[in-house]
Amino acid sequence: MHFFFEVLLGGLLAGIMYSLVALGFVLIYKASGVFNFAQGAMVFFAALTFVSLLERGVNIFLAMLITLVAMVLIGIATERVVLRPLINQPQITLFMATIGLTFFLEGFAQLLFGSQPHGLELCNRTEEPRSCIRDEPMTWFSELTGGINISQFDVFSAFVAAALVTALALFFQKTRIGRALRAVADDHQAALAVGIPLQHIWAIVWGVAGFVALVAGMLWGARNGVQFALTFLALKALPVLLIGGFESVPGAILGGLIIGATEKLAEVYLGPYFAGGGIENWFPYVFALVFLLFRPQGLFGEKIIERV
Amino acid sequence: MLYREAGQFRSSYAEDQQIFPIRQDRIAVAAMLVIAFLVVPFVANQYWLSALLTPFLIFSLAALGLNILTGYAGQLSLGTAAFMAVGAFMTYNFELRVPGMPILVSFALAGVCAAAVGIVFGLPSLRIKGFYLAVATLACQFFVLWALQRFGWFSNYSASGVITAQKIVILGYTFESTESKYLLTLAVVAVMALAAKNLMRTGTGRAFMAVRDMDVAAEVIGIPIMKTKLLAFAISSFYCGVAGALHAYTYLGTVEPEAYSLDLSFRILFMIILGGVGSILGSFLGAAFITLLPIFLSLLSGAFSHLTGIEVSHAILSNLEAMVFGALIVFFLIVEPHGLARLWQIGKEKLRLWPFPH
Amino acid sequence: MTEANFKDRLSFHDAIETMEVDFSGMTFAADTDVDLVYDEIDQRAGATGRRWYFLVNYTKCVIAPGAWDRYAARGKNANINYGLGTVRVGASAQTRESIREDAGRAMFRANIFETRDQALFALAEMRKRRAYAGEESTDAYLRVEDVHLSFGGVKALTAVGFHINRAEISSIIGPNGAGKSSMLNVISGCYRASRGRIFFNGKDRTHLRADEVARLGFARTFQNIALFKGMSTLDNIMTGRSYLMKGNFLTDALYLGPARREEIRHRERVEHIIDFLEIQAIRKTAVGKLPYGLQKRVELARALAMEPKVLLLDEPMAGMNREEKEDMARFVLSVNDELGTTIILIEHDMGVVMDISTHVIVLDHGEKIAEGTADEIRADPLVIRAYLGEA
Repeated sequence: MHFFFEVLLGGLLAGIMYSLVALGFVLIYKASGVFNFAQGAMVFFAALTFVSLLERGVNIFLAMLITLVAMVLIGIATERVVLRPLINQPQITLFMATIGLTFFLEGFAQLLFGSQPHGLELCNRTEEPRSCIRDEPMTWFSELTGGINISQFDVFSAFVAAALVTALALFFQKTRIGRALRAVADDHQAALAVGIPLQHIWAIVWGVAGFVALVAGMLWGARNGVQFALTFLALKALPVLLIGGFESVPGAILGGLIIGATEKLAEVYLGPYFAGGGIENWFPYVFALVFLLFRPQGLFGEKIIERV
Repeated sequence: MLYREAGQFRSSYAEDQQIFPIRQDRIAVAAMLVIAFLVVPFVANQYWLSALLTPFLIFSLAALGLNILTGYAGQLSLGTAAFMAVGAFMTYNFELRVPGMPILVSFALAGVCAAAVGIVFGLPSLRIKGFYLAVATLACQFFVLWALQRFGWFSNYSASGVITAQKIVILGYTFESTESKYLLTLAVVAVMALAAKNLMRTGTGRAFMAVRDMDVAAEVIGIPIMKTKLLAFAISSFYCGVAGALHAYTYLGTVEPEAYSLDLSFRILFMIILGGVGSILGSFLGAAFITLLPIFLSLLSGAFSHLTGIEVSHAILSNLEAMVFGALIVFFLIVEPHGLARLWQIGKEKLRLWPFPH
Repeated sequence: MTEANFKDRLSFHDAIETMEVDFSGMTFAADTDVDLVYDEIDQRAGATGRRWYFLVNYTKCVIAPGAWDRYAARGKNANINYGLGTVRVGASAQTRESIREDAGRAMFRANIFETRDQALFALAEMRKRRAYAGEESTDAYLRVEDVHLSFGGVKALTAVGFHINRAEISSIIGPNGAGKSSMLNVISGCYRASRGRIFFNGKDRTHLRADEVARLGFARTFQNIALFKGMSTLDNIMTGRSYLMKGNFLTDALYLGPARREEIRHRERVEHIIDFLEIQAIRKTAVGKLPYGLQKRVELARALAMEPKVLLLDEPMAGMNREEKEDMARFVLSVNDELGTTIILIEHDMGVVMDISTHVIVLDHGEKIAEGTADEIRADPLVIRAYLGEA
């Protein structure tokens, strides 16, 4: 029983991390109607920049700031070079453009910083004495629950993600800019007609998405190391979106939890029946697929009624 | 002057519906085929045949398959490489386990297996569209690769799933040399390209395009949406399966499941975006472009090294390649969303008027 | 009223297959009166062994409320047993109301006319239509029964029922949002009614999918033009031939032989339609480039290519100028006249509706508020109020 809870909790916490990446997708989709396939590459780029700065001795908080600036710049550049010329093209065209962007960013990141894997530690200083968040079990919790181990790192990530999500949800619902963003996502031309400054809005959105990518990159990088495989983790965010719906922040969270949990549980309990495991690679996708068959718009997505 | 249509009248529906209604086109295509079949094998060197022309043909076939599904039927798919893998590995198994199986039949049966996989993973298209569907096709990509790696049966229990293609023997003749492999590939691709063109200009193709353009209207005309979408997946996967079989048998010789990764799926998607979505010619143009581009880049970097004395490492080259691909995709989507095929068409239009400006 | 008297009021006109019943000046005070008369009708009509059109004269005929139900029941029986259709002349206002009410509930056509001549003309139309049908049943060609439709909380259609006769041109009219397009969508199978049934040629076809409905012989055009923007005019119209084309993807891939023959055969048919609608010049043009009026014509061509039995046109003349409307009206009438196609039209232009339709159904807020000939509808106070609002 203990083992089950351990796996479950581990899965849920990993799921929160998936949600973080999915959040970036949702943001951009909500605000510009663009499905940004390059979100994973952005996470990778952010993580790589961050860790390279750290390795050159830059203070952690300064490194965060510089990376954030870089991400915002990338966002603005993307908006100008990729999105603006493609206003009012069908969604599929924009989607394919972001696939192109993915390749570009991945190549660019590795060109700048090299392709070898980097380890990442989240500590407040590079020399001792320092305090770090490590991937170690929290002893007091194990004692409290009689042996269930959960990593302090996972819990930290969960808190960060929760804080970020709350802030973003409030941002979208309560602020004027949030409303403008939702208008833009619905219909570019109508938003323009009402006088919403499209370009500024998109710059803001891609900047925020860049920040989310940075946070996700830091957390994932610390967990699994910063390497090219990070981009595949980002792809895992896609089933999260399928389940949660593309436009819903709570959906991204719930979807992430579901995917994280089912993935881990499937690997541990079903894996042995499937030729010895490794089903993590495809299980989330097939699961999301089956889920879609019953509810094509995801948990929170909007039902599309086609009026003829 | 050269390309005038003056005097060429089409006096029957049969004539109007030809693939190449303009006589100059027919002559050009005939000449090209003659050159491809009879001249190239004797003139081209080994490198050209084995590293450029043969893979170009193979990827054209795969791009053709993807174009049928995504370009003509409007179902976005990111699982192309998985179907190629099925084709490659099933051919291997048919050849291995069925004594005396003719290789062409193996190719065809492997294609049918790929088609079956395509139908299964195409079922979601009945409920979901657009990029939801694209993400669903990723399920196919990852699942197939995992299955090929995990279940030793597919690779005859070899280490890390590697298979080595058997010799190709047709009617007693062994296709050993690069020239013969090239010719075999050329023949298969030519026949299948003709079949694809025929499919797209008849009822099947129109049904695909109707479903792509507006499936509600297609339904109201009497086109069965479900059957049409599944047929598109089946035919497309068949083409990709045969392409995969050729990939293993006439090009690489030895393959493993990793060769058919998501990266290859994207590469083929790029071929049809650059070449022209919804165009048979575009599949070929895109494949040529993507096959030649890495060579072009490495030539450039070689020249760069020569001039400046700075070595350009392989890693840097492959990263540059990715950046150039990405940038080109975005560029083409902005400037000419219908790809090289449209540029070709525009060129022909201008040629019809040449030497007059309008 | 004696039996002998009544016998004189019943006559059979063989040449026009009509049984003429003269109820003028008669009073039906009680059930017994009704039975007396109908027993005679039943016996004589039954004796002929064949079916008849009924031409009933109601001038100054009075049916007491107490006798009404019996009257309606026996009339219905007579229709079922040996009727081909009924036309009525000169009903009093009260009788009209009663018949109309029944018509609304039981979904049969009232067919009330001012003079005998008008009634005979309508009869001739009925016979002409039946000529197309041959031996088919007298059941309404297309019958819509008690259809309800809702989207989420919005009730688009409530208890709508009517029937359409073969080879006639019917119009569905009503203010915006009345549910006209929704009704058409239900008929063509695009929407599933939440309640109610649809009968075609006597068979229940309520649960068919849109493409199955299409293959039964229903074609339609859309309000917002649903052409395939990626194809040329010719290709668009050829898609209309899809369900008529034999062959499969294997013959298509080969092309030579069966596929080629099919392509050419259907191309010939399509070219007839292109000639008919005068769109030869734009055959190879991509439809996205065509002006609105021509796009509508191409959509009509595509619908005609299906060789439909029933053609549903959703605002075919929207956005057209006077000349274009006249052209379109001319095409619609030709299609009905030359091919015998049954046509159901949604249209806002009252002039067009009155000119070309023989039967008009009026919807408002999802309910049927009136049904009848163009002249009747024009004068109907309910219809006027729906369009113009309360006085």
